[in-house]
Amino acid sequence: MSPWLRVLLYLVGAPLAGGLLAGLDRKLSARLQSRRGPPLWQPFFDVKKLWHKENIVVRRSQNYYIFFFLLLMVFTGALFFAGNDLLLVVFALTLASIFFVLGAYKASSPYSFIGAERELIQIMAYEPMVLLTAVGLYLATGSFSVQAIAGHPTSLIRSLPGVFLGLLCILPMKFRKSPFDLSSSHHAHQELVRGLTIEFSGGPLAMIEVAHWFENVLLLGWVYLFFTSSPLLGLAAAAAVFLLVILVDNTSARLKWPTALQRVWLATLVLGFGNILVLSFR
Amino acid sequence: MPGFKQSPWVLHYDASSCNGCDIETLACLTPVYDVERLGVINTGNPKHADIFLVTGGVNPRSREVIRNLYHQLPEPKVVVAVGACAASGGIFRECYNISGGVDTVIPVDVYVPGCAARPEAIIDGIVRALAVLEDKHRAMAAMVDSIDQTLYGLAERRDVPEILALQKIAYQSEAELYGDDSLPGLQETLPEIEAEFDRAVFGKAVVNGKIIGSIRGHRDGATARLTRCTVHPYFQRRGIGRRLIGEFEKSWPPEIRRFEAIAGHKSTRRIDVYKSLGYRPFKTVPFRPAIEWVHLEKPRP
Repeated sequence: MSPWLRVLLYLVGAPLAGGLLAGLDRKLSARLQSRRGPPLWQPFFDVKKLWHKENIVVRRSQNYYIFFFLLLMVFTGALFFAGNDLLLVVFALTLASIFFVLGAYKASSPYSFIGAERELIQIMAYEPMVLLTAVGLYLATGSFSVQAIAGHPTSLIRSLPGVFLGLLCILPMKFRKSPFDLSSSHHAHQELVRGLTIEFSGGPLAMIEVAHWFENVLLLGWVYLFFTSSPLLGLAAAAAVFLLVILVDNTSARLKWPTALQRVWLATLVLGFGNILVLSFR
Repeated sequence: MPGFKQSPWVLHYDASSCNGCDIETLACLTPVYDVERLGVINTGNPKHADIFLVTGGVNPRSREVIRNLYHQLPEPKVVVAVGACAASGGIFRECYNISGGVDTVIPVDVYVPGCAARPEAIIDGIVRALAVLEDKHRAMAAMVDSIDQTLYGLAERRDVPEILALQKIAYQSEAELYGDDSLPGLQETLPEIEAEFDRAVFGKAVVNGKIIGSIRGHRDGATARLTRCTVHPYFQRRGIGRRLIGEFEKSWPPEIRRFEAIAGHKSTRRIDVYKSLGYRPFKTVPFRPAIEWVHLEKPRP
């Protein structure tokens, strides 16, 4: 498949798949709590409704940041699925998150500030592991190009089990799931008042939601990258990781930020760095 | 259809009373009733909500909170009063501190009966509110298409808190323009604007019961001095400000022979609106290092 075709498929497929995954998430969470849950299409209904709501802002410029957050998230995914440089993907992803944080800071309200500060702590917590993942994939395959990594003949999970487990530890943070949903969560309506997103309503809130769908598809793409030699196993692994994240979300409480930071950094050091140490001495 | 029926997000506030309806409302979220199957999310944030669900009677403390939350809900929005107390004050009606139901503060669309209201009744109330929500959205869409339905008139004393809230929203863009958060329009407090109401005449532009534009004028001999012309950011660039100033001029008695308007020197859009109405700038007065007041004048036609 040519890179352009893959990007086109991503641009069309990612919002659809991301929205369905979000719907599946809510359905499964409801079943885990022995509730019936909303229909599978619920996230699409929500986004459609938000487009028609009034857009109340504290500062009008806060919405531009959210627009760039969405744009960069789409761009990051496009880079990844086009088979581009993995480091570029990592940095573009970080830049997207920073735009989101800036948007929350721009709204200048205390809750928004707390959300933004917690998001910065989260970025600080997961960023080393994201970089180590890129480094690990390079050490295992000799290339940063996603195309080359995906074309590697053996499953990378064999040489990078620690890096993969380390990535698993930070995924709840990226998916905004417990125990690491410090800055914003789909369930924390009362105590976090939706953290980062508190001052956004209407269209921008819909954009945040859609950007999150794109991000989720990208993250599952990362998981898939560890199993590219057998695509079926890769898809199964991505699905399993998604289900695991939902299960953990429903069975664990939110951690305080120092604990979250310590645990994630410990996992990064032991699993990620340990794995890379072993690889470099082999 | 824009999907309001499939995705009602509820903001829930307990104004006072015994908490019975409060508990029954939360019972709707439990596995037995599970309102999430209808797409309902119980949000803690008014800016994300569509339905404002209030339980309990209103007392002086909760009055301000209810009004504040109501104005923070984005349009279209619906208010559901749950239980006897929220409808009329209920058993607490005669209490010294209860002023009655929720409709003494904000307009209520759906009343849910009961003491305490049963979860089934509350769910029914939410479903009824959805139909109202759809209607309001249709009316709002029509309103944006034909902004001529805006009503212009003079403000009353009870409009003053809403005008202040509008002013704080509308002046945010001004604060960015001048790089100064301490503009007089942003710093004004409720007692100050209420005192101002005794000295000045306030004009308002109303859509769907909501004030989207305001202006005020001071009388000085045969001159009326117009200041603080604001329009809600959502309705800007649609000619509301122009119409508002035009209608406001007409409301002055015939002995007023001259209008004077004041705007900041960087607020070019505001100045252009005045110029298009026949105003001519005649002096600038420095106010702060970053701000100069531009005075514009126009003889009464």
